[in-house]
Amino acid sequence: MNLYTKKINAASEWLGNAMGLFTLIMVLLMAAIVILRYGFDVGTVAMQEGVLYLHGAALLLGAGYTLKHDDHVRVDVFYRSVTARTQHLTNFIGHLFLLMPVVVFVFVMSFEYVLNSWDMMETSPEPGGLAFVYIQKSLLLLFCVCLFIQALAMMINDFVAFRQLSHKGAR
Amino acid sequence: GEKNTADTTQKTQQFKWKLVTSWPKNFPGLGLGPEKFAKYVNEMSGGRLTVKVYGAGEIVPALGVFEAVRNGTAQMGHSGAYYWKGKIPAAPFFSSIPFGMNAQELNAWIHHGEGLALWREVYKPFGLVPFAGGNTGTQMAGWFNKEVNSLADIQGLKMRIPGLAGDVFQRAGGVPVNLPGGELFTALQTGAIDATEWVGPYNDLAFGFHKAAKYYYTSAWHEPGSMLEFIVNEDALLALPADLQKIVEVAARAVNSDMLSEYTAENNKALQTLVNKHGVEIKQLPDDVLRQYKQLTDEVIADLIQNDPVSKKVYGSYLAFYEQARKYHEVSEQAYYRTRELKAN
Amino acid sequence: MEWLSLVLFVLVCIVLMSGYPVALVLAGTSLLFAGACALFGAFDTSLFNALPIRLFGIINNQTLLAVPLFVFMGLVLEKSKIAEDLLLSISSVFGRYKAGLGLSVILVGMLLAASTGIVGATVVTMGVLSLPAMLKQKYPTSLAAGTICATGTLGQIIPPSIALVLLGDVISSAYQQSQINMGIFSPETVSVGDLFVGAVIPGLILVACYAIYVCIVCWRSDTITTATKAIEADVNVSVWAALLPPLGLILIVLGSILLGFATPTEAAGVGAFGAILLALCKRKLNFEQLKTVSQSTVKISSMIFLILIGASIFSLVFRGLGGEELIHSLFENMPGGVVGATLVVMLVIFLLGFILDFIEITFVVVPIVAPVLLSMGIDPVWLGIMIALNLQTSFLTPPFGFALFYLRGVAPASVKTIDIYKGVMPFIGIQLFVLLLLALWPEIATWLPEQVY
Ligand code: NA
Ligand code: NA
Repeated sequence: MNLYTKKINAASEWLGNAMGLFTLIMVLLMAAIVILRYGFDVGTVAMQEGVLYLHGAALLLGAGYTLKHDDHVRVDVFYRSVTARTQHLTNFIGHLFLLMPVVVFVFVMSFEYVLNSWDMMETSPEPGGLAFVYIQKSLLLLFCVCLFIQALAMMINDFVAFRQLSHKGAR
Repeated sequence: GEKNTADTTQKTQQFKWKLVTSWPKNFPGLGLGPEKFAKYVNEMSGGRLTVKVYGAGEIVPALGVFEAVRNGTAQMGHSGAYYWKGKIPAAPFFSSIPFGMNAQELNAWIHHGEGLALWREVYKPFGLVPFAGGNTGTQMAGWFNKEVNSLADIQGLKMRIPGLAGDVFQRAGGVPVNLPGGELFTALQTGAIDATEWVGPYNDLAFGFHKAAKYYYTSAWHEPGSMLEFIVNEDALLALPADLQKIVEVAARAVNSDMLSEYTAENNKALQTLVNKHGVEIKQLPDDVLRQYKQLTDEVIADLIQNDPVSKKVYGSYLAFYEQARKYHEVSEQAYYRTRELKAN
Repeated sequence: MEWLSLVLFVLVCIVLMSGYPVALVLAGTSLLFAGACALFGAFDTSLFNALPIRLFGIINNQTLLAVPLFVFMGLVLEKSKIAEDLLLSISSVFGRYKAGLGLSVILVGMLLAASTGIVGATVVTMGVLSLPAMLKQKYPTSLAAGTICATGTLGQIIPPSIALVLLGDVISSAYQQSQINMGIFSPETVSVGDLFVGAVIPGLILVACYAIYVCIVCWRSDTITTATKAIEADVNVSVWAALLPPLGLILIVLGSILLGFATPTEAAGVGAFGAILLALCKRKLNFEQLKTVSQSTVKISSMIFLILIGASIFSLVFRGLGGEELIHSLFENMPGGVVGATLVVMLVIFLLGFILDFIEITFVVVPIVAPVLLSMGIDPVWLGIMIALNLQTSFLTPPFGFALFYLRGVAPASVKTIDIYKGVMPFIGIQLFVLLLLALWPEIATWLPEQVY
């Protein structure tokens, strides 16, 4: 169990850093697009779509990393004032009954949609666009996997912490 | 819930359909088509088949119509086949291709040539049944802030021009720019792009392009007559009793012809407003540019049919019909257009 | 069964109070509720098929691409202390006044609004930059939070604004249709450009009102300190050095849009790139900082987009339960008369702003109500700006005020959510006040377009 959470956390961390690199590339690529187009009258839709692909990857694949760092916004009117034990319980229940159903459901509903895109080897409808729409769409499935695995690791942590805090409270 | 049993004898059974579109709700022309379709169907079926129209983004985004009808989110959609170029390379032949058929000819190929049968065949693997769903008529070449007097003026010209025409434009040395619709006006006004194509006077006037661009260029080489489409989920269609299926078909046919009339009537008026009231300057793209575009269009289509057997088959039929239609229209329509502009003695 | 949509709304509000992340509460509660309703045939499950299509639409939206880029830019400015210097420089101009920092925030926020128009990015940038500084200067937490949230929403009304583009698109076709319905066959037109020009004066009035409010509160406060000597002296030495480069950067963003080098989305990338160059030139950015910036960009953007995903799932279910019909029937019972109808429409849009975001209201509600009002002879530019100002409040009204979420996401733990809620109330009041001014004197919006075009 401990090994699992450690490995998952490390993987999320690695993925988060990789997505960070993506955002930097996005900035450089976008600047290059503008400079090339308005300075040299050169431009391709492929570059524009490249930024869009990186953008989608960073947002979706970064979701687990963001969850790990607890950076998803909460309405913390009550949350901030309850005990750590209750916070762990809230997160455990939330992951189990809100997050898990959502990511499993989105995965199931998206599966055929993504598969269809692979089937067609879907390309961009734009002139000179990228021919990897199926990879862009696959991000939806990867998003679900990232969030699911990270949430599982966090539920283990929450469960352990909740048990420990409960024992302390009982003593 | 709705019942999808194929009980054709049950005349009291009610069907409720959702129709998703690629346009804002009630968008002039394009968006009114599906609204009219819903009205016709509701009335003709005596309420047995009711169709509810959803604008772009209400259930799915504009370009999600194909997948939404395919996976059964909605039973029906209204869009344009050229949007599915990335999924079905042959799709543009069923809406509009550069230097292709005009509305009248396209309608003839679809309904009295092999067009519709081919269209059905192409959409069949996706579980979709297509119907012609209107036509904008011949469009305009677009709004420009730079004059185009020669091929040299195309070099580095930044234009929003999607589809096959965009490929042609790129090969001619232009820079196609992909823009979200919402940024179009500002981009043109500020000069982030030099030109954009849109639809025709009816829609262009409403968008206010005359306030953002200097010249309105004519001869829509890129979209000589764009056909819209109704797409119906095959299972949903087959679940209807025969009479309701016919109602769907006939209502679509009525909208198809009505939209062209609407565009013709409204484009006429809107052009007068643009020219007389807003002082818009109408310009003609020079012949050498058009000749170059035409040659490049042949190349783009040659590449397309070389890589895709379906496109090859569809284009074969399209071209055969087109060549006949052109020969006839040369001595009929085209001759008459000349004739009626002759000055009386 | 439309009442079920209200049950969903109440349920979401209750579950939100648990403190579990907003995005997942929105998505999870909506899905589970829809599933339960489907068991009783009260929800059309085929709508679930729309999920992947809608989610792909969110990540494939070019306009939203600007969000991570502007976040990146904001974070570079923060890490390299460039924006802080800018804020402090501007505040040093007002340094001897207690309201100096607040006014600087409004001024810098206005400049950001004039270049971005993305509420999330502006709130996040300003939240990261100026919230700690304001707290250091003993601004009441609620005032600091409210100023930043409200300033962030200026992007809605100060052109170039995505909200105005979307609204202009919808209103222009509604206007044409209403005239056709009235039997006018060569219709007048209204364009996005008209709305842009029309929004300039109301936007500036709004900025002025914010500034006056902040001045009054600061002037009457005993706790707020003026900028300390140390900071003043430090900044005074290099005031132009601090002021010019970042101003130049904002001018690059604004200028590249106005001079046509880039679209607003692209300008975000140019701005971020410019910020990196600037920071490198000042030798204030190293590899470690750049890594931190990009990691934070992922976290903040991911947070924002997960909310968009959650909201998208919520609105799909809300619509599927007939929430839309509920709204429809509300409008059918509108009382007669132009004033009455306008008042009701404005009230309803304001109330809907509590639960829906501006895009949904623009595309769902405005097409329903605008033709009705325009057929009564109302000026389309005036109506457009009225709606835009009104929709601006939807970013500030709890529980689903996106500006509030964005600030919550970057605010330190010492800032309580209730402080943010309290802080925005006066600014919502100011927005409604400007809305009233505009209602009484439509020329505020309609005069300038008539001069320009
Ligand atoms: Na703005
Ligand atoms: Na709100």
